[in-house]
Amino acid sequence: MKNYLDAGTTYSKIITVHENGKREFKILPSKTVRNLGLTFVKTCGHMDFKNGNCENEIVALAKGCRGKVDNDAVVLDLGSRDAKWIRFKNSKFADMDWNTSCASSTGATVEMLLKFYDVKLDSLTCVDKKFPVTCGVFGLEKIMDDISNGESAQNAISKFVHGIAYNTWTFAQKPEKIYLSGGFCENKCFVDSLRKYCNVELLGRFILCEGLIDE
Amino acid sequence: MKIGFWGYPNPDIVKSLDEKNPQWIDLDIDFGYPESNILPDAYCKIIKNIIDNAIHLKPDLIVATIGKDKCDSGWFASCILKDLGFNVIQSKFEDISLRRPTPVSTSDLPLRKKVELITGQIIKPTKLPVIKQCHAKFGFWGVPPNDLSILELFPNETHVFGWTKCVEAGVPADVELEMEVEKNLPIVFYSQAFCAKSQLAKYLAKKHDGLYIDIDDYATNSVRAKIEAFLRLR
Repeated sequence: MKNYLDAGTTYSKIITVHENGKREFKILPSKTVRNLGLTFVKTCGHMDFKNGNCENEIVALAKGCRGKVDNDAVVLDLGSRDAKWIRFKNSKFADMDWNTSCASSTGATVEMLLKFYDVKLDSLTCVDKKFPVTCGVFGLEKIMDDISNGESAQNAISKFVHGIAYNTWTFAQKPEKIYLSGGFCENKCFVDSLRKYCNVELLGRFILCEGLIDE
Repeated sequence: MKIGFWGYPNPDIVKSLDEKNPQWIDLDIDFGYPESNILPDAYCKIIKNIIDNAIHLKPDLIVATIGKDKCDSGWFASCILKDLGFNVIQSKFEDISLRRPTPVSTSDLPLRKKVELITGQIIKPTKLPVIKQCHAKFGFWGVPPNDLSILELFPNETHVFGWTKCVEAGVPADVELEMEVEKNLPIVFYSQAFCAKSQLAKYLAKKHDGLYIDIDDYATNSVRAKIEAFLRLR
């Protein structure tokens, strides 16, 4: 049995490869992973688990999406606190960017907003209007103004999420299609907002973790 | 006598001052002295080093490079230091008529060693032994970074381009040479954040399908990972 871990800031993705080759997929809050007593063959991610070989996240993303995307493709991973994209040309790595560590307009902020305003993720819907979220703090201010002017928290947060989708598309250099990896795959409001700008194909949350598996 | 300098001072000025057997101090380097807060927070770290080092080390004389061989920020820094009471000689070295060979840039030495060897030759050039050459697998384009440790991420088979190569060639103002890179080589185009050369770095990275990075002060883990990923995936 071999364990592989993508330890995100908020959630950890674990793939266990059993001796018969069967793969088991788990998502857990990262803060609970240390207590599991597991040993990992390879890890990646912001959280520091020193009991495995640590892989570069961009490399893990590039390896994980092999065979899952077109020869010419832009793959974007949007997580709790950072965004990174890779462009392949003729199946070869051509370009990349990583917004390093600004969490102001990523998953953690959306989770905090949902908790703060007691809003369920499912209740967010794609809206035409978007807030500028280049600076997430200014984006938060827009939400507060909007709600104080009578807008529902759901709609105000949806505008913020639309802003993140637009920012993401711009950050990835406005491609015609994005292969999306990471937690935002499960945020319908985000995916629908992103589809206003480009085609979107969802890769799910385990791409980086799959990129750790060499066999 | 302590003489502070930055960039690539005119060799004639260096020669005339060298007769006094001074201690030369490269003010470009981050020695970790306290910030003087004279310049804005968001500003080129190299220029901030120059000002902070001068304030702390109080050199008897400063040879300030201000021409096309450095940048306008260097010129403004020289004016500020003069106004603060320092004894400043402004230097320009824009002669690009004679390019020397650049064996260090194309050698198989570790990249950091290459860059340190090149900058170490500015004031007191010494005859170098024959250095083993290598075919390049990667390229590094730019000025010597404030955070020299990023150079340790590169393999030895990394050739040096940009201003650092111009320095080895003895033509720090030669923008044609500065823009010249080996075709089809994966190259990291580096600029110090808030440096005017970021124009060139970004432009050339796009032109040559390389990686553009700018770093303010010291590299974050993510910037290191970005360089590492580029080197591994290309």
